[in-house]
Amino acid sequence: MRALSRRVALLALAALVVPSLAFAAPRLHPTGAVELVHGFWSLVSDVAGPTTHTQSPHPAPQAIPQASAGQAPVPLDDLSKPTAIEAQLRSALRPHDGAMRVTVPNGSARLGDFSIGSNESLSGHLLVVQGTADIYGKLLGNLVTVEGDVVLHPGGVVSGDILTLGGEVRDEGGEIGGEVRTFRSASVLATPVETRPAPPSAIETVFRRLAGAVGVFLTLGALGFGLVMFGRPNLEVVSDTVSHSFGRAFATGLLGQLLLVPTFGMMVVGLILSVVGIVLLPFAVVVYALLVIVAAVGGYLAVAHAMGETYTRRRLALGVMIGSPNSYRYLVVGLGALAALWMAWAVFGWVPVAGDLIRGAAILVTWLLGTTGFGAALLSRAGIRENFAGHLIPPEALTDEYLWATPQFGVTAAKRPGSRTPTRGL
Amino acid sequence: MRGLFLSVLALAGGASAASAQSMRPFSTYRQWHGETSTSARLEFAAGALRLAAGRPAELYRMDVLYDADRYQPLSDFDAARGDVTLGLRTTGNGGLRVVSKGQLRQTASVTFSPRSDLALDVALGAVDGDLELGGLRLTSLELEAGASRATVRFSQPNAARCRDAVLSSGAAELTVLGLGNSRCDRIAFEGGVGRVTLDFGGAWTSSSRVSVKMALGAVALRLPRQVGVRLTLDKFLATFDPQGLVRRGNAYLSPGYDHAARHLDIDITTAVGGVTIDWLK
Repeated sequence: MRALSRRVALLALAALVVPSLAFAAPRLHPTGAVELVHGFWSLVSDVAGPTTHTQSPHPAPQAIPQASAGQAPVPLDDLSKPTAIEAQLRSALRPHDGAMRVTVPNGSARLGDFSIGSNESLSGHLLVVQGTADIYGKLLGNLVTVEGDVVLHPGGVVSGDILTLGGEVRDEGGEIGGEVRTFRSASVLATPVETRPAPPSAIETVFRRLAGAVGVFLTLGALGFGLVMFGRPNLEVVSDTVSHSFGRAFATGLLGQLLLVPTFGMMVVGLILSVVGIVLLPFAVVVYALLVIVAAVGGYLAVAHAMGETYTRRRLALGVMIGSPNSYRYLVVGLGALAALWMAWAVFGWVPVAGDLIRGAAILVTWLLGTTGFGAALLSRAGIRENFAGHLIPPEALTDEYLWATPQFGVTAAKRPGSRTPTRGL
Repeated sequence: MRGLFLSVLALAGGASAASAQSMRPFSTYRQWHGETSTSARLEFAAGALRLAAGRPAELYRMDVLYDADRYQPLSDFDAARGDVTLGLRTTGNGGLRVVSKGQLRQTASVTFSPRSDLALDVALGAVDGDLELGGLRLTSLELEAGASRATVRFSQPNAARCRDAVLSSGAAELTVLGLGNSRCDRIAFEGGVGRVTLDFGGAWTSSSRVSVKMALGAVALRLPRQVGVRLTLDKFLATFDPQGLVRRGNAYLSPGYDHAARHLDIDITTAVGGVTIDWLK
């Protein structure tokens, strides 16, 4: 660090000293001062001068030979679609066998500067590449320049259109019969190297997919922790609905998916027909979208919770000591199980056939469980109704003694005083 | 740490260079060769548009800076019919890009010759538009504002008689200033949602009929006192304060309407919103 700061200090010192030495070197006598001012002025002119677009030195003037039979000609009859002409020229002006060749039907092509004299007349379209077209006389046709300007001198005539690709038109008093179109920047002669990115290696693919999967499930985990923290009762009801009414939840979720769009349409039409509701339409659309997202994500997290809870209870039943069997653990275990499928795809997805099968299985299982969670969220009204959650006994009666002594199913349970008859209906 | 900083700097620089690369300048114009009338169609999908009278020696001119990945310039003159189509049309390409709004802001400046009669048809998408039509020889105007915020101004009297001006908007904010200078016999506005301000100031040389249809939104009228104003209103859930207009039958009239040299008859149909009136001084 100290060495670095020393280097910076030396550089700063040099920056201060060197220019002063440079300016101090010449003795300032009158002519030297003038030269200095001229030099300074030319420097300023170079930096801030109007010649902002710089063109490469023009090649020696010459005709561009016609292309071979296999190469498509470039018609310049219609210049109304300049980007199309540009694309054609980009293809045609690519050097073949080290030489530029192009065929202009009803016209000619020139490389380098080209001029039409004041008493000259040229019939046909003209293409000028890497050169300035000076028009003193008459051009009976269209004019296209590539990386070059058009200068129309007084008395000069272009009967047709003018198109400049990478140049400009300077009308100094000539006559243009058609339209003038100017692209000051163009890449006709640039030979773009097709930089198609190399396909990633298997290891890169694995790491990329693993990172993606971990990112998604970490996000779901964070959302789930928030849900447990602020809405555990609702999450547990939806989770229990998944556990106790899996088939019904799946069917409801499937139906819900099918009815999503028609319901949305009916809502929009209803609001529009009510006239007053038109004002509410944007809000209703946003709220509807949010509700669907919350139901889908919340339902999926509830499925993960249910899976984790089932697994943990089974482990407990086997006598395994588990530190804190709570909703956070259930969620982590469930999400871990769900993530395992995607992790398997991330690791083995590059394997032909098997990779596709694993991905298909992961998609299918995710959709199935997502649908079930969505259906459970709908059935339980986002965890408000417990009808399908298996909560048949009042919570206050759920003491250990009660659970040990009282049968919860069968004739004896039905005769228990104060028992609640569950209502299985929407 | 330094490597990370340099990488971020390089990425930022690369991103700005990439976005700058897709913005491309294009210019087109045509010399004026004694054309007496022109029919112009101007299509502009997105960006900022400025339209005004230009140099007499040029029939029209358009200078645009456009997003070459998504749009292509329009410049086509039909010499036989005297029609010109200008503007930017979407190519349907581009996809989703994450760049700041200012980096890909398209701009266009369009001018027309004040020597030639002009029938102007303008179709705007999502545009911030400033159309100064004063000083032109406008014979008709058709403007579709789409979802734009546009201001149409007649700062100077129209040099020609205008048959009609038809303005329409989807969900837009449209302000038309100096309609008295427009010299249009008939002015029609049809809007969906938004706000329209119609300023009838200017030098009135003839009477005019105006029709305004607005589904949901605010209609603000600025009326001149030197012209007799007659307003009929068909409203559903809209508010209206006559502001000095006197009701006669099913119409509201300005004081001295019957004796006014020039009349401005306005028919307004609106469902939800409000109609406000301001008197110009």
